[in-house]
Amino acid sequence: MSQGFFIQLAASGAAIGLLIALAAWARIARPIDPLNDAKARALLADEFPGRTLDAVWVAQDGAGALAKSGGLALVVCRLGDGFVARQIPWAQALQASFRDGRLSVDLADVAAPRAVIALPAWPPKELAA
Amino acid sequence: MKTFDPVTLATPLFILTIILEIVFSRLGKLKAEYEARDTAVSLGMGLGSTVAGVLFGGVIGATTLWVHQYRLFDIPMTAVWAWVAIFLLEDLTYYWFHRIAHERRFWWASHVNHHTSQHYNLSTALRQTWTGGLAGTWLLWLPLSFLGFPPAMIAIQKGISLVYQYWIHTEAIGRMPRWFEAVFNTPSHHRVHHARNPRYLDKNYAGILIVWDRLFGTFQPELDEEPCRYGVVKNLGTFNILRVAFHEWIAMAQDVIRQPRHALGWMFGPPGWSPDGSRQTSHDLKAEWEARRKAPAELDRAA
Repeated sequence: MSQGFFIQLAASGAAIGLLIALAAWARIARPIDPLNDAKARALLADEFPGRTLDAVWVAQDGAGALAKSGGLALVVCRLGDGFVARQIPWAQALQASFRDGRLSVDLADVAAPRAVIALPAWPPKELAA
Repeated sequence: MKTFDPVTLATPLFILTIILEIVFSRLGKLKAEYEARDTAVSLGMGLGSTVAGVLFGGVIGATTLWVHQYRLFDIPMTAVWAWVAIFLLEDLTYYWFHRIAHERRFWWASHVNHHTSQHYNLSTALRQTWTGGLAGTWLLWLPLSFLGFPPAMIAIQKGISLVYQYWIHTEAIGRMPRWFEAVFNTPSHHRVHHARNPRYLDKNYAGILIVWDRLFGTFQPELDEEPCRYGVVKNLGTFNILRVAFHEWIAMAQDVIRQPRHALGWMFGPPGWSPDGSRQTSHDLKAEWEARRKAPAELDRAA
């Protein structure tokens, strides 16, 4: 690789830094409200159409939700100004680690390794069996 | 004839227009949404792709030159007809490259990167793959060299196509004049291509001319009643650029290792294919959506 290429690479890197700083300064991300029960159900309906929801737990900070749908757990969690959704076996959700009011769910997906949802308690007593 | 790289020449324009899109959006003069970490990934992928391009460029260039030795015709780089011909043939090649890159997992593993942003702005255009050389889709352009188009001419036309496709990655432009929308790929057509709504999946593969989609049955206009939701069917849960670049390759390898008997299906089936049908392809998602859409109408008729 030539010296010119590395100069061009360095200049591009500097320009990228500038553009990221500009994007952060501009604060023009998508406006996103915290989830409540109704919003979480609407989001789950969008992401998992046709699924019935047996129960929904919404994160205390509104940044995620977890629903039971038969033998599956439907998980939505916030990333940046959007949401990410995955379904996992319910048993896997029950085994998720819970510490300091945060449920850390292993999504077993290299593209979305983990979802963290702020909940008051886990697992839910009525469904743990 | 002196050659040039359209992408290198256009780079200052890329930077300037992204600045303008951000600033004018900040001022409320146009529609554009930027999330800083998403922007960082898009631009980082763009920078990485230039490095990958240099790394793979030698092999691709040497192969193209080797094929050119056995060319059928001597096509002059100075003739206008030759440029018209390469414009059309390169754009047709791009259409089929792009279609394969969406409809077969091995090539989707490379191309998926470009679709992983939940945003649609000019920075998204620069979210380019690092593994295109590895995926081998560049082989599709070799017939042009075999026909007799000089390798430099092919490279220039590929660059022109890439630069053309930059400006269509924006929500700031609504619709172009009707005649333009009929012939060319536009922001409206390409928004559909980047949408994850079932209706819009696997549509509008065009590079410059949308006529290929109209011809091969993959055209879908943008509908006002169905706003585009951007990203992939299963959106990424991370801004880690290495996961963005390689996640589908890793997922495919995991599937093949787990079920080597189905390796061909895992690698060359459509994205979302699985031996037991437990996952969903875009075809499945569309069928499910279509069924849901028809269900209320059928219920109404029954009532």
